[in-house]
Amino acid sequence: MILVWLILIPLVGGVVAGFVGSRNVSACRWISLVALALDAALAIGMISQHLGGFQYESSKVWFEEFRASWIPVLGISVHLGLDGLSSLMVLLTLFLGIIGVGASWSEIQERAGFFHFNFLWIIAGVLGVFLALDLFLFFFFWEIMLVPMYFLIGIWGHENRQYAAVKFFIFTQASGLLMLLSILALVFVHRAGTGTLTFDYSELLGTQMLPAVATWIMLGFFIAFTVKLPAFPFHPWLPDAHTEAPTAGSIVLAGILLKTGAYGLLRFTVPLFPEAARSFAPVAMTLGVIGIIYAALMAFSQSDLKRLVAYTSVSHMGFVLLGIYSFNEFALQGVVMQMICHGLSAGAQFMLVGALYERIHTRDMGKMGGLWTTAPAFGVAGMFFAMASLGLPGLGNFIAEFLILVGSFQASVPATTIAALGLVGATVYSLWFMRGAFFGPNERGWTIVDLNARELVLIAAFVIGLVWLGVYPQPVLNAVAPVVQSLEKMTQPVTAALLRS
Amino acid sequence: MTEAQFVALSPLILVGLAALVVMLAASFKRSNGLALGLTLAGFAASLVSLAWAAKVAPVQVTPLILIDRLALFYLGLVFLTGAAVALLGHGYFEKRAGYRDEFYMLLLMATLGAGVLVATTHFAALFIGLELLTISLYALVGYTRTEPRSLEAGLKYLVLATVSTSFLLFGVALLYAELGTMEFGKMVDLIRQGGHRETLVNGAIALVGIGIGFKLALVPLHMWTPDVYEGAPAPVTAFVATVSKGAMTAVLLRLYLLVGGAIPDSVMTLLSVIAILSMFVGNLLALLQDNVKRILAYSSIAHLGYLLVAFIAGGNFAPEAVTYYLIAYMATSLGTFGMVSVISGREREAEELRDYAGLFWRRPFEAGVFAAMLMSLAGIPLTAGFIGKFYLLAAGVDMGAWVLLGSVVINSALGLFYYLRIVASMYAAETSAKPGAAAREVALLGSATLAALALCLIWLGVFPAGLITLIRSAVLGV
Amino acid sequence: MTSVPMDHGLLLAGLLFAVGLAGVLVRRNILYVLMSLEIMMNSAALAFVVAGARWSQPDGQIVFIFIVTVAAAEVAVGLALVYQMFKRMKTLDADAASLMRG
Repeated sequence: MILVWLILIPLVGGVVAGFVGSRNVSACRWISLVALALDAALAIGMISQHLGGFQYESSKVWFEEFRASWIPVLGISVHLGLDGLSSLMVLLTLFLGIIGVGASWSEIQERAGFFHFNFLWIIAGVLGVFLALDLFLFFFFWEIMLVPMYFLIGIWGHENRQYAAVKFFIFTQASGLLMLLSILALVFVHRAGTGTLTFDYSELLGTQMLPAVATWIMLGFFIAFTVKLPAFPFHPWLPDAHTEAPTAGSIVLAGILLKTGAYGLLRFTVPLFPEAARSFAPVAMTLGVIGIIYAALMAFSQSDLKRLVAYTSVSHMGFVLLGIYSFNEFALQGVVMQMICHGLSAGAQFMLVGALYERIHTRDMGKMGGLWTTAPAFGVAGMFFAMASLGLPGLGNFIAEFLILVGSFQASVPATTIAALGLVGATVYSLWFMRGAFFGPNERGWTIVDLNARELVLIAAFVIGLVWLGVYPQPVLNAVAPVVQSLEKMTQPVTAALLRS
Repeated sequence: MTEAQFVALSPLILVGLAALVVMLAASFKRSNGLALGLTLAGFAASLVSLAWAAKVAPVQVTPLILIDRLALFYLGLVFLTGAAVALLGHGYFEKRAGYRDEFYMLLLMATLGAGVLVATTHFAALFIGLELLTISLYALVGYTRTEPRSLEAGLKYLVLATVSTSFLLFGVALLYAELGTMEFGKMVDLIRQGGHRETLVNGAIALVGIGIGFKLALVPLHMWTPDVYEGAPAPVTAFVATVSKGAMTAVLLRLYLLVGGAIPDSVMTLLSVIAILSMFVGNLLALLQDNVKRILAYSSIAHLGYLLVAFIAGGNFAPEAVTYYLIAYMATSLGTFGMVSVISGREREAEELRDYAGLFWRRPFEAGVFAAMLMSLAGIPLTAGFIGKFYLLAAGVDMGAWVLLGSVVINSALGLFYYLRIVASMYAAETSAKPGAAAREVALLGSATLAALALCLIWLGVFPAGLITLIRSAVLGV
Repeated sequence: MTSVPMDHGLLLAGLLFAVGLAGVLVRRNILYVLMSLEIMMNSAALAFVVAGARWSQPDGQIVFIFIVTVAAAEVAVGLALVYQMFKRMKTLDADAASLMRG
């Protein structure tokens, strides 16, 4: 039941904030903040019981489970479950949610009620995605988070918001429908084999099917998730959406929405179709590597700060794709680390860029320069997250990318070698970002207000998170160990053959 | 006529009676409110009598009409929709000059015609029902006779609908000449046995198909839709989009269930082509429009294309899928055209896209409901449209109709473009909209109807199980 | 008395139908269009009578009466619309009265 509350609190909070917002703007901000904080407290309370120590009983797959009948005639139920992987994702979501409300505290002045309504509904949708264990329910949440995001970009975005919002919506919708087709195909294949119609994840695991069928069905899932991730050929929506979205929208997009794609690959694509995924691995890894290099090059050629950060996201997500399809413990642990660390570092970068935009009303690097002298705290924060993004040892992103490369090295040496070049690219674009915005001559004579207390608190939260993950990642690695091990086992040739027989 | 037959027929009788009462009442007191009250009472009485009739169903009343669970289910649907249109029409015509009680009488007559259609098992009755519906509709479409576009739409509809009815009639005549019966069941049996002139029978079926396809506005028989939808008063457009298409779908469903899916491949291919064309033509042309009513008209062409996919896919899911999709489509169309009638002003209808600019901030309730309706048309979760689309895809996947499914996916993406255009214009800043389109007064009944519809849509989108069970008992009871 | 073969009757009905359809498509004067519609409806009615005669059933003639009645109702509504249109636009030309495009 506690899992249902996790989703309900932001839903209800959003409705309340929406109603209050038309009368009292600051009240609706506080309501959103309190709702998310309450949700976070609930989540932490529950998760810490399970992830408290280094060890926990591994007999149970799910820490918490909730099951209720929904549409019994079609074999659909409300089935929620929480394991190590989804725990981490839930925590990340709520953390970034709180930050998002904080980051839009002064940015969003118009129609704040509707803004917070949408924002909280996105959070609720994402939480649903991370918790759903029924494929219909999963798809339901998957789509639900899109609509408020569309409004967020379309109403509170920048100049070209309409175009970006529609592009975002159509990319994700169309790919979502492909996934729905795949879900249905899987369900019917399962029914043909067993005679029962069910959308339940645990029952659909290990469905027997012909390799060709499995490949086609898997492709539907794969495309939907890699559009969201995004991986190389499916990424064009992302730079627009990120650039045009308001700050909180960008934080949530980069921090959480992209992670739903990675989560989907880990939770659904690979476990449901282990063999097909394994034979598809070379293609997926290639796409990942192309994404890393291509996006790094693109990032380097941007003059719009938000666009630059957006492309770095594509590049970092390339590592995720590479790691997932390496199918070994190191790489998969790296993937989870990367999901969290990128969520934090990209979220922080978007927040900084947003704060900068509020002050100087431009995102064009050509018009910046020399901001360090007038706003040193800004500069230090920018420097810190640029370092995080390029993978400085001691910060979480380093651990993540290092683990991925170690893992993928065992799977494919050439892919790893090229991907490692991406790290060089990351160094270049991160320093480019710093040089363009903060160093050099202050030609325009900017004098800006430095980070205020609210922003400093938010930035500090990011910094603490990244340093902690960089120095002491063990809790995260422990939390996902069972998931990662079972994924690894599932995709080994021997087990795959066993599963088939 | 036995008592059971009388009971079974009572829903239809009551609606016919209501039409007469409204007409008589007009000779004593001409009042919009009174006519609405009588109309609603008539619909309520027939809806209540459905429960009564359900106890004796299935009953064959003369060879013409069969009151079974399918018929009762669709009768309920048609009457509810008719009542909703009456409620929407009240506010709409309240704003306009002239008498309004004929509207209710015509509405009741048209609904009666649709009621006959859904219960018919005989081509003679089909013809009577169809004409009752269509002739009332000519008058309804041309109802605002001071508005040239309304007259033009009425005439256009008259000419084209009569042509299509003639095709249907001629086809039936040929079938009758060859088979010697006009009862659906016997005809299907005779055709199955064979021994007839194949070309004549096939040609006749094609002619009948033209008649049905016209009513459903499937490509290439869709030309009338945009003009009639644009020209007709908005509540009437809602009626044309819902009751008239819904009743025809019921006929199609009944024939489909009789044939039992044993349809030759060549026909299937033809139907697939029609479905795919309807989707693409509807959606692509909708992209080019700036008039909301025309956008919705083209979108309805595409939606009937989707509906046809469920028919073609066949399989166990088809009847359920068709019915669920139809209900979602009807509720949504009623909502969207109802919205146009509620927010329309005294001078003209709010039909231009720019009339909607800033609606979110001017009238948040109506805009929210409208957005929900559009999301339902687009098939986004939390709305009935999503479950409808889900059902449709399920039927398709079940039978492996991949080409059709591919076009559904592509068209869903295309459809989003123009649904989002409307949504986007609602939250855009208010620009210099032409005056006269915005309603100054709130149509309480209309808004309440829309609120109820929106709740219904969301309820069906979140808790579809109840309706699914009901539909199953209706379709499987045949 | 030798009866007329059924196919001849159907053929005649088909010809009338084609004449009516051609009239609807070619004529621009709305009154002539209405007349052509009548011809189409009545050709179908004739076909019913012919078919009924083949099976010596009354059904064909019953449907004939239905059709004639319905056609009368249609024309009543149609002429009312035409009258209103003429009053407002002073033309009976279908093209000149066409406002909606797209």
